[in-house]
Amino acid sequence: MAEIPWNIIAMQVFFGIALGCIFVLLSSGMSIIFGLLDVVNFAHGTFAMLGAYAVFVVVSLTGNFFVGLLSAVVIVGCVGMILEFFLLKPLYGKDPLLPLLLTFGLSVAIPDLIKIIFGLIGKPVSYPDTLSHAVTLGPMILPGYRIFIILFTLVTIISLWLFLKKSDLGMIIRASTRDSLMVQTLGINVSRIWTIGFGLGVGLAALAGAIAAPMMSATPDMGVDMTMTAFVVTVVGGLGSLGGAIVGGLLIGLVVAFTAFFAGEYSSVSMFFCMALILLVRPRGLFGEQGRE
Amino acid sequence: MAHDSTPQKPIVVYGTIFVLLFLPLIISTPLATEILIWTIFGMGFNLLLGYTGVLSFGHAAYFGLGAYSAGLAFRNLEASLPVGIALGVLAPMLLACLIGALAIRKRGVYFAMISLAFAQMLYFLALSPLKHITRGEDGLTQIPTMAIFSLSLGKPLPLYYFIMMTTSVMLFATWRILQSPFGKLLQAFRENEERAKACGYNTTLVKFFSLVISAFYAGLAGALNTVYLGYVPLTTLFWLTSGTMVMMTILGGKGTFLGPLVGVGVFLFLQNTISLFTPRWELFVGAIFVAIILLFPAGIMGTLEEKIAAFRLKREAKLVKE
Repeated sequence: MAEIPWNIIAMQVFFGIALGCIFVLLSSGMSIIFGLLDVVNFAHGTFAMLGAYAVFVVVSLTGNFFVGLLSAVVIVGCVGMILEFFLLKPLYGKDPLLPLLLTFGLSVAIPDLIKIIFGLIGKPVSYPDTLSHAVTLGPMILPGYRIFIILFTLVTIISLWLFLKKSDLGMIIRASTRDSLMVQTLGINVSRIWTIGFGLGVGLAALAGAIAAPMMSATPDMGVDMTMTAFVVTVVGGLGSLGGAIVGGLLIGLVVAFTAFFAGEYSSVSMFFCMALILLVRPRGLFGEQGRE
Repeated sequence: MAHDSTPQKPIVVYGTIFVLLFLPLIISTPLATEILIWTIFGMGFNLLLGYTGVLSFGHAAYFGLGAYSAGLAFRNLEASLPVGIALGVLAPMLLACLIGALAIRKRGVYFAMISLAFAQMLYFLALSPLKHITRGEDGLTQIPTMAIFSLSLGKPLPLYYFIMMTTSVMLFATWRILQSPFGKLLQAFRENEERAKACGYNTTLVKFFSLVISAFYAGLAGALNTVYLGYVPLTTLFWLTSGTMVMMTILGGKGTFLGPLVGVGVFLFLQNTISLFTPRWELFVGAIFVAIILLFPAGIMGTLEEKIAAFRLKREAKLVKE
């Protein structure tokens, strides 16, 4: 292969990290839900799709993208909590595969509902004006929106971490992840914590979908691919580990960006190869605890 | 699910075959053929999910690989019917060995995720990098009409009865597997894996074999689907094919002998009926599936069996009283 200028490589790294940031948001939500409720959320990408549509609706109503991002999290988080309360709660303590099957049913039904409401064709979401400029850094031109994604994800993940480590509610969530029965014994309503945790996880998925919307526009069927990506990142990073979701997400983002550049045909396949490789070398995932897989 | 739900005598098998003989008189022949193909697929899937307790969300990989292998054999190698079907069965079994070796040790939800990811990998491979072989989005076309003993399978009825004979053999084989010590072992694992392990059985190995056998059924169904359609659509590898199989099996009742047949029949009937009114059938089918998970997780046949068992218990209690 001919020599490739380093600035092009650096650009791919930048694009990969920006893409990876979306995966990080997506998978950290999945990770929180699994850690807390022991539920693999098959509809995770579907909630991301709902987030993309929420941002589309709010932006066309208010014209402000940042209001859109925030309300996407709130709206979809609430939808998630309602669904958890009515549909998932009755299944806890039964066959562990049932919640997975139920969320699978949702991922089949909800996209069709969106098709009925918004039509088959995707809805474009325009870049906010302040972020549509490109930043020139030496020989590289970096699109402003992608810089925003990286910074925004950084802030979100740090606040999430602070919330889980420092706040009382975060502490209860972490404790319930470890041993929900013990938390229950201490007089805390764990069932409510589960609902909040599900809302939080689904809200993060919505954020991932909403922030990706200006780059790929909101389509009814975008959910499955996002669920699949979240699965791959989770297997690579380790099930139920927030650190795994972060490292796994960035790694998969880089892998996809580089294969898209060097061997475009393989860009959708590469992440699965990466997963197979990790399964061979380190079956529990990069950050997974022994025995949880 | 403490009771043993497999029929002790093959009368159920013969009865079912008898009904299948007359199926084209009741419903249209293409629909009947489709039901049979999906039933074969479903019996294998039920062996894994219902009797072994392993949920695979990537069975489209085996179904699709079976369909493509048979299709390529018929089209490019001018293979005869048995050779094509044999290839369509072997390739998915090899794939199952590979995926099983990598992932069957994992606990339930983890295996479900990994199997789905591998199936999706195959889908994307067929879509783009291997386009020169699989013809990508167009699917594999121009597959010649097959014949058996110089009887052309181009017409609906001969094709139906050919597939019906295959289905009958597979029904009988399934019954035999479930009666065998291996079949009993599968069910022992589903009920209590730790205990079976403590009894000295290698649970990983048994799950692995269950997966490979299941891939045999899926590949056979895929190959028959190719013979039936004369065409291999890319959707055979799509995740929704796996999802449809999951829904059919749960609907019919996982872990029941006739569950797959009933589930497939009801599902295809629902799909065809709803499609008459709206193209958005997935909304209704998905909602029905959610309701079933919440209200009748045992499915149609499972709920029926529970009711019958409860009735029998009541009657016995009454007899004892008297």
